[in-house]
Amino acid sequence: MRRHLIKRETDLQIISEWIENGDSVLDIGCGRGILLEHLIRTRAVRALGVDTDLSKVGSCLKRSVPVYHGDAEALLREFPDQSFDWVVLSRTIQELRNPGSLISQAIRVAENVAVGFVNQGFWLNRWSTLLTGSRPTNDVFPLTWDEGHPYNPVTISGFEAFARRKEIHLANAVFLKGDWQTRTSRMPNLRAGYALYHIRQES
Amino acid sequence: MIDPPTESTETEPGEIGLVQWKDFTWEHPFLFESGDSIPGLTLRYETYGRLNEARDNALLICHALSGDHHCAGIHSLSDRKAGWWNNIIGPGKPFDTNRYFVVCSNCLGGCQGSSGPKSLNPETGKPYNLDFPLVSIRDMVRAQHLLLTEGLGIRSLAAAIGGSMGGMQVLQWGIEFPEFVRKLIPMATTARQNAQAIAFNEVGRLAIMQDPEWSEGAYEVGRGPDVGLAVARMMAHITYLSDAGLEEKFGRDKVRRTHARSQFDAEFQVESYLRYQGQSFISRFDANSYLYLTKALDRFDLFGESGRLEDQLQRIEARSLVIAFKSDWLFPPAQNRTIVHALLRCGRHASFAELDTALGHDSFLVHAPELYRLVSCFLEA
Repeated sequence: MRRHLIKRETDLQIISEWIENGDSVLDIGCGRGILLEHLIRTRAVRALGVDTDLSKVGSCLKRSVPVYHGDAEALLREFPDQSFDWVVLSRTIQELRNPGSLISQAIRVAENVAVGFVNQGFWLNRWSTLLTGSRPTNDVFPLTWDEGHPYNPVTISGFEAFARRKEIHLANAVFLKGDWQTRTSRMPNLRAGYALYHIRQES
Repeated sequence: MIDPPTESTETEPGEIGLVQWKDFTWEHPFLFESGDSIPGLTLRYETYGRLNEARDNALLICHALSGDHHCAGIHSLSDRKAGWWNNIIGPGKPFDTNRYFVVCSNCLGGCQGSSGPKSLNPETGKPYNLDFPLVSIRDMVRAQHLLLTEGLGIRSLAAAIGGSMGGMQVLQWGIEFPEFVRKLIPMATTARQNAQAIAFNEVGRLAIMQDPEWSEGAYEVGRGPDVGLAVARMMAHITYLSDAGLEEKFGRDKVRRTHARSQFDAEFQVESYLRYQGQSFISRFDANSYLYLTKALDRFDLFGESGRLEDQLQRIEARSLVIAFKSDWLFPPAQNRTIVHALLRCGRHASFAELDTALGHDSFLVHAPELYRLVSCFLEA
């Protein structure tokens, strides 16, 4: 199995463990609908994906995954509080223009929010930037600055500082090493390649 | 030596070819939403493909204001143009006649063979004209339901599909007969018209009604308010296009002036094009039908008295795919999104896609591979 496929699996498995049968799940930046298709099949969730890429929207439709083509934050504003059990932001926040505001909307419309991101604080990513001066390229972000999406380098410590500032409750966190499979908990900002949080509105 | 030619394994989507319309007659009274009724009705329709044994593989195509039942194929070998949605309907095309039984009928109130204001009133032996009951989108849908169930013996629809006024019918289908239709594809449509769309319709109606030939709708067949109807069509046609689309097609190109009789003859290509649109419309459309159908559009309002779109849309059980076109300024993407937002708030299985085409409201009618892919994916799933 190619490495990026293993990585996609990892995210999918942990999120599936958190989500319960019959939950309603909104996946922002759903891509081709792989995660939602899996959740529909294994958890019988009521799913909705959001993506800005029309070709990915077609792929979702082919999988019978309902999908909304357009701006996620504008869509979230259309829903009353606590409309979903879960909002999933899996490797989405780094590409958003205003991630803080989207996360705030997400915890308003959903009881639970899963946020997964590549930790740019991981030592290998720091090392790469130290050596080259530019953002790391690897098989998750293969494109160089001139071709790739703009992205914000999100770190574990940066994300947790944001959560404290906004009084967001961190209900659960899973940190994975550089292989994105082995869990770790010691000095995650330096040692974890991937972070997945379950966050909630502070009650 | 030259390599022998290899046979291509790719097959081009095929054409339906020759088709014939049929008439469905219902010889019982039909009660309109307005409370008025007519003693019986006729719907002219065409079908392509075969109804399966379970009688559940039908696709219903709902046409727009100026459309009709002839949406694919040709009526004779000398036809210059195929049906209005021929690019999307046929063997191997997105609305695949190898798999689906495609049905399209001229709407109630129309003028291409279905009951409408120019039909004969059996009580008087004369055309109804303005005595024809006011038609609503819901009336059109209920009449289609009679055709499908009583006329064709269809048990359930695989999907109802349509753009603009057809999209309104599609939504109404989901609301009126939720257990009968499994998928809905409304395109370039709205849950109710905004003031701008009503305003354009009103100008069109006034152009017709102020034409002295209109005679309160009692004009004879073959005569009628041709000037008014042509002007109404010319103006409406502009609303179906876009600035960029018109610019690309015509720009400021001029017509040859050699035959010009006055300085106000058509000077620019776009003028000549619109005059042609107006003229060809009067040969195929009835002015009274135009009045009735534009009124049906104006009155259509799924927000209803409560002002909550969810009250109506929550009755829908079908899966929906709403498609909007970026350059559509008659029923802009935001109005299409509103429909999806309400469906999603009701917890319905609904999807939305916005296509970046430049041709305005009529984009759903043109060759658009992105549109084909979306509807194919949605229908196959």
